[in-house]
This record gives sequence, C-alpha cells and structure tokens, in this order.
Amino acid sequence: MSNKYYEFFCPVKVIAGKAALEHIPYELTGMAAKRPMIVTDKGVRAAGLLDPVIAACEESGLEIVSIYDDVPPDSSTSVVRDIAGIYRSEKCDSIIAVGGGSAIDTAKAVNILVSEGGDDIAAYAGAGVLKHPLKPFFVVPTTAGTGSEVTSVAVIADTEKHVKLPFTSSFLLPNAAIIDPRMTLTLPPHITAATAMDALTHATEAFTCMAKNPLSDAYATAAIKKISTSLLAVMDNPKDADNRLELAEASTMAGIAFSNSMVGLVHALGHATGAICQLPHGLCMSLYLPYVLEYNLESIRGPLGELLLYLDGPEVYAATPASRRAEASISAIRRLRDALYKHCKLPRTLKETGKVVEEQLERIADVALDDGAIMFNPKEVTLEDARAVLRRAWA
Amino acid sequence: MIAKRIQPMVFQARRLYVELMFQVMGRALQAVSEVDASVQNDARALPVGFLFEMMVMPYGSRLIVEHVGNGRFHYHGTSAPRPVDLSIQFKHIAHAFLVLSFQEKTSVAFANDRMLVDGDISYAIRMTRVLNRLEAFILPKLVAQRAVKEYPANLHLPEKLVSAARIYLKVASNFVETVRA
Repeated sequence: MSNKYYEFFCPVKVIAGKAALEHIPYELTGMAAKRPMIVTDKGVRAAGLLDPVIAACEESGLEIVSIYDDVPPDSSTSVVRDIAGIYRSEKCDSIIAVGGGSAIDTAKAVNILVSEGGDDIAAYAGAGVLKHPLKPFFVVPTTAGTGSEVTSVAVIADTEKHVKLPFTSSFLLPNAAIIDPRMTLTLPPHITAATAMDALTHATEAFTCMAKNPLSDAYATAAIKKISTSLLAVMDNPKDADNRLELAEASTMAGIAFSNSMVGLVHALGHATGAICQLPHGLCMSLYLPYVLEYNLESIRGPLGELLLYLDGPEVYAATPASRRAEASISAIRRLRDALYKHCKLPRTLKETGKVVEEQLERIADVALDDGAIMFNPKEVTLEDARAVLRRAWA
Repeated sequence: MIAKRIQPMVFQARRLYVELMFQVMGRALQAVSEVDASVQNDARALPVGFLFEMMVMPYGSRLIVEHVGNGRFHYHGTSAPRPVDLSIQFKHIAHAFLVLSFQEKTSVAFANDRMLVDGDISYAIRMTRVLNRLEAFILPKLVAQRAVKEYPANLHLPEKLVSAARIYLKVASNFVETVRA
C-alpha cells in the first residue's frame, strides 16, 4: 500500500469577475450581517478603491457603519486592539478587509478579538487555539500576489515584546473573497510585477515542494498558466481589465495551492531578506526563484519539467525533449524576469536592489535556516547550501 | 476473524514500541548533545531552561528534554517541571509509529500533516535538525536514509561508529541509572 497521504481544505467562497463588489450586500445579508466595518489602509483610500465598495453597499441600502483606514504596513497588537475597540463601540457585526496582506492580516486578528472577546490578541497566538467560527468576514484584495484572502494564517507584531505573533486557524479564513478587476486596475507597474512574481512563486513552490498533492497541483498549474499569459500583457497595458482579473484570480488560486501544500527555500530566504534588509516580499520571491529552482533541480526535475507546459505553452513543451524541460522552465522564468526588468526595473539580483550589502548574506543564510518554510523544501538545506544560493543571487 | 482477535495485541505492541522509542530518543537526545558539536551549535540558540516535548495526542507517550545551557540537553522522562516551550505532537499513535518505525521520514510526516507544532516554529526547525542528526548517527545508513530527508554526505563511517557507540553507551547507562533509582 502506498504511503501517499494529503489534506486539502478551502471553504472560502470566491466571488470573481465583473461587478463582483456588488455581490457584497447580498453575501452580508445572507449571513444576517447589517453593520459592516471596513478595515483598510491610507493608500487604498487615497487611490479611491473604497469608493466602489461603499457605493455597492449603499446602493443596496446597506450602510458601512465604520471605516478604519490607518492600518500600517506592519500591523501591531495595539492597532488590532484599537480597531476592535471601534468595532465594539460602533456595534458592528461584520468585517470587510480591503487591501493587501497587512490590512487582511489585521482584519483577521480583529475578528478574533471581537468574536472571542478580550483585548489581548497575544492570548490567541499559535495554532489551533480558536475553537469556534468567528464573525462574518469578507476580503477584497487590492493586490494580486499575497493570496492572504485564502490562507488561514495571520502575523501581527507585538511591538512591546519585539516579536511577531503567528495565528493559525481555519476559522481565520474569510467567508468570501471578492476578486474584482477594478481593485487592481491602478496598481503601479513595479508592484504589479512584484506581486505577480509572488503568486508565481507560491504556485511554483506549491507544485515542487514536499507537500504537493493532486488538488493543490491543479490550482498551482492553472495559476502559473494565467500569470505567464497575462502578466506581460498587463505590463504593456495596465488598464487591461481582463488580464488584471486573470492575475487576481491567479493570485487567489496560487494562495489556495500553497496554503495546502506549503512553500520552500525561496520563501525561507525571502522571509529572512525581508526581515534583515526590508525588501518587499514579492521582490524577494522574484529574486530568488530561479536560483532556488537550480539548487533543487535534481530533486524536482519531474514536476519542474511539467511546468514548462504552463510557462511556455504546448508548442514549446512538445518541442522540448523531456530531459531538458526542467531547465527550460527555469529559462522561461528568467526570461519573464528579464522582461519585467525592461518594463519597470524589477531587480533580478540582490545587487540590483541597491538595498542589500554583501556582508548581510551571512546573516540572511543564518536566519533562513530557521524559517518554517525550509522544512518543506525537497532538498535538505545546509548553511553552506543557503550561502551558495545567496552568492548566486548576489550578482 | 483471527485478524480481529489479534488486533488488540497489535495495538498493544505498537503502543509499547512507540513508548520504548520515545524513551530511547529522549535519552539519546541528551547523549548526542554531549557528544556532537553540530548538535550543540544548534541547541545553543535555544534559551537556557527551554523545555521541548514530543508526544502522541491526546494523552499518549511523550518525551521531555530541557536545554540546560551550552548546547546540552537533559532528559526529563514523561513529566515536565513546568509548562513546555515547544511541543511537537503526533495526531495519532499510528502516525508516531509510521515515523518511529522509519516508514515515513520526519519531514514527510510534517508535510503530511501528521504532526502539529505548538510553539516557536524556528525552534521546531532546530529541534528537527537535531533529531535528524541523531538519527543519522544511531541508525544504520540504510535505515537512516529512510528516516531523514538527506543523509549527511560529510558523515563518514569512522565518525558515525565512534559517535554511535558513545551515544548508545550513554543511553544504556541512563537506563541503568533510571532502573536503579
């Protein structure tokens, strides 16, 4: 009997496409929610992205009771406590997160406090602490990369103790994720590129790391196909709503894939680099992806070769000998990075970022070795291996 | 019919095997931390007094070790002197048996969601490295290759034999001391 085993879980209703935002009132009403609170950040509000959300609700006679628009890029326990206080004083009964990873994570943490009670979010840190469903919660992503709308994790900084608190529970998942092309239409080119490469990395690692499974594979390959066919089209024409939607859907699908099959060394190095050099997560993913695939090559030759079909299309796949497909997949990713560099100067090496100094590589390798993602990398990574990958990614 | 009759005995044997393996592993963790510099390096990053637990949910076998400083572990048996800092929990004894009988690698068991981590994940990664190093020392290479993600290429036979002998000797002494006590 085979030892193969896997788990797959995604109860999030995905509402995607034209006029998707206009489904929010119906979905809220379906959960008996009448007094929603919006959690977002100043950038989202300044870009006018709240307007269609508010208009969609008001048109259906649903009043947005409160808007908190001051979520910082790295949210903290005090921010979560403040928002929960407003939620309670305004007698809200549901949460709509509008934004990227930070706003979504903050809203997840706020939902814990307002559902479970208390003011100390740290008391709920860890895995499996929550035992009950939380308040109605909807997510409207405004970037196409993190996949936070379909992950059961939130990370909040405890600024007093100087630690990052992880929260893991399937109850953190929103009731619905609303993917509307209007939300990503004004995303600047370099953020579009970096977040799409984040999603591409989620899907690629989900497909090549240790916890891959048939269901997450299906989501991962579909996401890769969408990104490889739509990303450069959007870079050429940022107002292309159809391809924007493709990228947003790809991000959600990649999120579903990696939240069920985890990620590997690219994320371990990326988390360490983000923490030490303050580089954006998506950029780190784009930087490290080809170098880590080269490092893992002999352990992932089969699945990586399969990805050529989704990265370069059936003609190239058929014309490439099976023994060369894995290398061809890496080349396809490198070509995509080169094209993005041409479009918006998205760095391809650590040196090109101008924000990393060579002396930091040692520390990055050290920290990456203790990152949780390294557990699921198909190859056992030693400190020397991590240093070697970093040296290759340097210049 | 026969299968049904012997099933309780199989379950009992499995439980005893897992229990025995936990006792050996706990003592071996203490021993390897006294023998191997690489394990000591990994353990030094843990706070002094750090309590690590490995257990079978909900109330099954368990082992508890404490980092007593300078990269050394002390095996506490099955009871902790205070709440543990990190717990790796098998969801079922069947999953613990798969790992401890080397049918499933520890890393694969994590990937297959057989285990939960309660505590700081970076410490869990360190402890997994320590467990892998221990298994590479004390198991024959063919068996160790089934237990760890990658058998360390730089671990050669003389070092392995000497270290394994020292670890087994310390484990045996610890067992004798426990019986005497």
